[in-house]
Amino acid sequence: MSRHLPTRADLMADLRAFGAAGMKEWRLLRRYPSMFLGFLFWPIALPLAYVYQAQAYSGGQQAASDAFAARAGTTEVAAFLFLGWAAYMWISMILWGPGTSLRNEQVRGSLEALFMTPVSRLVILFGPVVSQVVWAIWMFAVVGGALTLFFGFRLSVLEAMRALGIILVAVPALYGLGALFAAVVLRFGEVGALVQTVRGIFTVFCGMTFPIIILPEWARGVALALPPTYLIGDLRQVLLAGADLASLIPELAVLLTLGIGLCGLAVVAFRRTERYARRGGSLAQY
Amino acid sequence: MTNELRAAWAVARKELLIARRYPLQLVTEVLQPLYQFLLPSLLLGATFYVGGRAIGLEASAGTDDLAGFLFIGIIVAGVVAAAFWDMAFGLKREMDSGTLEPMWLTPTRPDTTVLGRAISGMIVNSVASIILIAAGVIFFGAALGGALLPAVPVLLLATISMVGVGYMVAAGVLMIREPNFMVDATNFVFSTLSGVAFPIVVLPLFLQPIAYALPTTYAVDLIRHYALETRPLLDPGLEWAVLVAFAVGTVAVGRWLFLRTEHRMRVRGTTGQH
Repeated sequence: MSRHLPTRADLMADLRAFGAAGMKEWRLLRRYPSMFLGFLFWPIALPLAYVYQAQAYSGGQQAASDAFAARAGTTEVAAFLFLGWAAYMWISMILWGPGTSLRNEQVRGSLEALFMTPVSRLVILFGPVVSQVVWAIWMFAVVGGALTLFFGFRLSVLEAMRALGIILVAVPALYGLGALFAAVVLRFGEVGALVQTVRGIFTVFCGMTFPIIILPEWARGVALALPPTYLIGDLRQVLLAGADLASLIPELAVLLTLGIGLCGLAVVAFRRTERYARRGGSLAQY
Repeated sequence: MTNELRAAWAVARKELLIARRYPLQLVTEVLQPLYQFLLPSLLLGATFYVGGRAIGLEASAGTDDLAGFLFIGIIVAGVVAAAFWDMAFGLKREMDSGTLEPMWLTPTRPDTTVLGRAISGMIVNSVASIILIAAGVIFFGAALGGALLPAVPVLLLATISMVGVGYMVAAGVLMIREPNFMVDATNFVFSTLSGVAFPIVVLPLFLQPIAYALPTTYAVDLIRHYALETRPLLDPGLEWAVLVAFAVGTVAVGRWLFLRTEHRMRVRGTTGQH
């Protein structure tokens, strides 16, 4: 079989396949309406519980509230927590997303057939996550709505656009991570425990409920090596501290670099795993 | 009666045997509450510290032992989770694997099989709780030593109440058939409104009556009162009485509701559908 460089027609075909993969996932989601309830309930209920917890920690004591403001750089406790948990839920979706999608194909018996098609492996890897971008935007919109309605949080169009910019810069890093998990699924068949562990590390180090400044030095070092730290920190900067994107360029550059590295790593890992699975004939096994 | 208890114990042993086959899942029973609730809550609490003390929590709950406050909460949350997931959602797993209808064709009563699941769930939860308490005391300085003795009867009463609640949720699982979100969301709301993460006095006024209608609210409050000398919501004697009343009432109502739902499914012939 001879290899050739991808032509314009190949790229167009892959783009169409990419769109079709996203559309298929979207249709599957529509078949399970209870999931829509979840996407409305959790972005509000989970952070709200921590807002009440923060009220208990403050206890109406000005000194405690001042201590929070000094460490977090904002007095907007509710917005601080809602943004952290919104990022957590998005990351959860991404970590479960591509891997679960491949796993479902495996269980349904359609994974081997999918690999027989001539589409690029990038389509198989990243296609299903397109539909999840819609959910990510929806979730951040629910969080914005809840903050506005329940806590009187004011969000200007400019701030919303800046936040959207940060989300877009974070996309390669987070989806690269999700794709790496997909490669693990293909290799080992199950990814639940690993996802739980990584999610735990993110929750403890990346500042979902706290500013990373309160972590010990070594833990802060770990936090700064993880993409979600930058996503959460930068979102809080633009939405709660009024920072513009220009002032965040160094951090966004780190986030983008991590993204490019993770996507590259994911593609290499996926190709190797695919080769391993083809040779061992384990694509259809689960 | 003895036969039914033996059958319940057999179901519990079967569930424990299955659980042992997935050791990673058992590790998650301890790790998940730690990273998903305890550590984020402790770190959020540390953000409010003044001079190394939780003066805000002291004002709202009557103790500045943040770790002790949260670790007691997570133990009660474990009891709630066992009722919702192991007891009620376990039926969904039987439905999916197609074993629910054959199991109910045996002479064992359907509510006995659910009770068996409750026993296994509570055993796993007890082991996880002991490990979490040890971690709380050793690594986080939680002052829980004095709480252990009065906590046992309180947790026992709360567990009996939650068996009743588990029956009610199991009835819901039978009716809804795609119950993942229902179980997940109600479990979360039940735990949160019980005050596992914060004193319920910080809840809005319209939510507080719901919190007072949950047995676990009194369980978590009593244990904190004895262990950390927090201000109780009601007179402790009254809270004990309420807990006993819940233990009797929820089991009776829950079992009745579950058996009624199961009977309706038998009549309609929908037991095997999911």
